[in-house]
Amino acid sequence: MDMTLIVKAASLLGAGICMGLGAIGPGVGEGFVGGKACEGIARSPEHAGLITRTMLVGQAVSESTGIYSLVIALLLMFSV
Amino acid sequence: MIDPGIIKVSAYISAGIAVGTASLATGIGSGYIAGGAVESMERQPGINDKLFRSMLIGQAATGTGAILSLVIGLLLLFGGFDNPAGGWYRVASLMGAGLAIGLGAIGSGYGAGVAGGQACIAMGRVPDKNATLLGNMLIGQALSQSVTIYALLISLMLLYSTPLQPEGLAIGVVVMKSVALVASGICIGLGSIGSGIGIGELAGKSNLSIAKVSKGEMGVMRVMFIGSAVTQSTAIYALIVSFLLMFVL
Repeated sequence: MDMTLIVKAASLLGAGICMGLGAIGPGVGEGFVGGKACEGIARSPEHAGLITRTMLVGQAVSESTGIYSLVIALLLMFSV
Repeated sequence: MIDPGIIKVSAYISAGIAVGTASLATGIGSGYIAGGAVESMERQPGINDKLFRSMLIGQAATGTGAILSLVIGLLLLFGGFDNPAGGWYRVASLMGAGLAIGLGAIGSGYGAGVAGGQACIAMGRVPDKNATLLGNMLIGQALSQSVTIYALLISLMLLYSTPLQPEGLAIGVVVMKSVALVASGICIGLGSIGSGIGIGELAGKSNLSIAKVSKGEMGVMRVMFIGSAVTQSTAIYALIVSFLLMFVL
């Protein structure tokens, strides 16, 4: 049996699991940020612009680990 | 050519996983809504009919993910996927289809439950706003369920658009392609858990916030939409990786 194809199969399975698990954390975290932003706007509606901006920056930072997973998944698919 | 029995084994295991995992999360979510409604009834016995109605609507919306899994489960059992020409590709794609919708319904089952439960709690605090809260609850639940729709899409594509296994391929190629099909299902299934739960938390908090503001509900709803659009991005990455695993490789 051709071993390189088995290695390729393992890397594809790894890519799927990597992106799948890696998407859980940012998803929950960004939702949590958004929920707190809603609470903040309810408490002080006059600061809505500031709160939305901070929310988006926080979500972008939280997103970074999801993007790391995406990069690793693409590397596993196309360059291993 | 393989034994059709192997394809059936895969379909039956996959149907069990799909319906089992989806029901697990939906049960937790529906219970959370009932808990919120009971808590509010204790505080506001005067509007118990409205709370009861909201509870049932919320629970019905929470059940969507489990119903989609049930449909896929029944298709796996009775859809006639036992053509031996499908080969190992068919075995793998049936397993992937069950994993995709089963895992993919976990996030929205729990998330929609949180959104509905906090809407019921908010109705108990501010009974006058129950119509606005019901609308916002349903929007939040629909946003939370959109990620399950991605999983359903991948699941249906795995069921109906995977190719038959060509004759005379090297065994390594067959293993590689089959593993890619299972991985595609696992990827979108796991990837939509986080976004489903996150959007549910967001929608729940936005319901509580709408109960708190005197005016400016629109501001809260706008943030809810922006926040849930950003939260979905990771599920969309998972969808892209799933498509690549299914078609490109």
